[in-house]
Amino acid sequence: MSEKSRAPDLGSAREIEEGLGDPFTAAFRATRMAMVITDPRRDDNPIIFVNDAFLNLTGYAQDEVVGRNCRFLQGPDTDPAAIDAVRAAVAAGEDVEVELLNHRKDGSPFWNALVISPVRNEEGDLLYFFASQADISAKKQAEQDLNRSRDILEDLVAQRTRDLQEALDQTSALLHEVDHRVKNNLQVVSSLVLLKARQSPDEATRRVLLNMAERISALSTVHRLLYPAGDVSRFDLKEFIGDLTADLMTALPKDRITLDLDVAPVTISAAKATPLALLVNEIVGNALKHAYPDGSRGRVAVRVAKLDGDVCIVIEDGGIGLEAQGASGRGFGKTLIEMLVRQLRARIDWEDAQPGTRAVVTVPLNAEEAQL
Amino acid sequence: MDSSLQILIVEDEILIALELESLLQDSGHSVVGIAASSEEALALGAECRPDLAFVDIHLADGPTGVEVARSLAREHGIMVLFMTANAKRIPDDFTDAHGVISKPYTERGVQQALDYVIACRDGAGPPSIDTLTFMPFQNRGLRAPSQAQG
Repeated sequence: MSEKSRAPDLGSAREIEEGLGDPFTAAFRATRMAMVITDPRRDDNPIIFVNDAFLNLTGYAQDEVVGRNCRFLQGPDTDPAAIDAVRAAVAAGEDVEVELLNHRKDGSPFWNALVISPVRNEEGDLLYFFASQADISAKKQAEQDLNRSRDILEDLVAQRTRDLQEALDQTSALLHEVDHRVKNNLQVVSSLVLLKARQSPDEATRRVLLNMAERISALSTVHRLLYPAGDVSRFDLKEFIGDLTADLMTALPKDRITLDLDVAPVTISAAKATPLALLVNEIVGNALKHAYPDGSRGRVAVRVAKLDGDVCIVIEDGGIGLEAQGASGRGFGKTLIEMLVRQLRARIDWEDAQPGTRAVVTVPLNAEEAQL
Repeated sequence: MDSSLQILIVEDEILIALELESLLQDSGHSVVGIAASSEEALALGAECRPDLAFVDIHLADGPTGVEVARSLAREHGIMVLFMTANAKRIPDDFTDAHGVISKPYTERGVQQALDYVIACRDGAGPPSIDTLTFMPFQNRGLRAPSQAQG
């Protein structure tokens, strides 16, 4: 080996061991960072220098480590992949940084953040490896604790999600079952009233019962429209009026009454659906049945629009007018209309349409409905 | 072709069955029987050979209506209309019925369903449906309409 390729002068072996002479060596020796120098040019790359911090960290005495390869720090639990990374870097003369499980002299493990760098002379010849060690057991422990906490939390979240899904499934099944029973019971009620109507010999009784069946049918339509939308809190007035009026028309001879519908899409809260449905059923039903007596032909218009935070429903016919219809005699229908208007905090104005009757129902919308 | 149908009602709620019978008779059809269970339905179907059966999903012996409909359609060529408050029980790929009338039904829904099956039987184009209470299965690749029995 030429004089030039030799290592920079670290002092004599004694001076190196005692850290005398050179300020760098003194600093190296005194730092709290555990440090090691090995000599790859000697057989099995032995340690040629360790500082006190290294001895404090590992529990060994200097004469127990100098001259040995660093692998005595490893134990059976040390990750082979980390050892391979170190071995490969040393063989290639490269830098490496790994975190690996090492053991002290007393066998107790610690997590070591190991940084190894090759030291070369000006010609690039590999002279030493310089290695620093830091005990990162506390950090590793914190990481492991964190992972464990995360696993526990994830398990908890998964369990809770399962519970919620189960509860949701049960609720959906329950809602479905209730929906089914309500529909079936409405059908039974309706059939009961219609059967009685068919068997009543008295025309007046029959008419009363058929009116009741129509009211039940209007409620059924409300129920039918409330559930399938998946949102049981809102009610589509447009769809309701289309279906209700078509159902009412079936009871009339074909082509006798022409129906004009001009209904804007209006959504109201479900709480208003029932009273509003019954109210519309009552007024439209009256117009269809009584505005054009004795089989005369005519026209009934239903218009719905949103107006300044109100929904405005206009039902207009060109028939004989309320007085001639003897509307005062239809006590229950009239009372029902008044009660429903009151429940909805609405207003109803009966106007003379010359000829005929115009009912203008103004229902105030709440802030949420006005947005819909 | 004759627009009067021979009809079997498969329904375990007697009030509903009787009222429907009246409604169908008022529309000019004949009701050949009322069955409350799957067993009765299959027996009456074989015996009376109706043109059409109204079939509820829930019968006296459980949710057997779907199987009843399949048997009536396949074994006797009977046209089937489901009538139920529980249409979700009908499999999405069920093609042995012409449609479903949802309970509570309306007269208009029943009428449109009858017009629809008569049009299917006669090979006519399906009439337009504008009620919420009758949903035809026309988009389900329905089996060829069965010919009327008499």
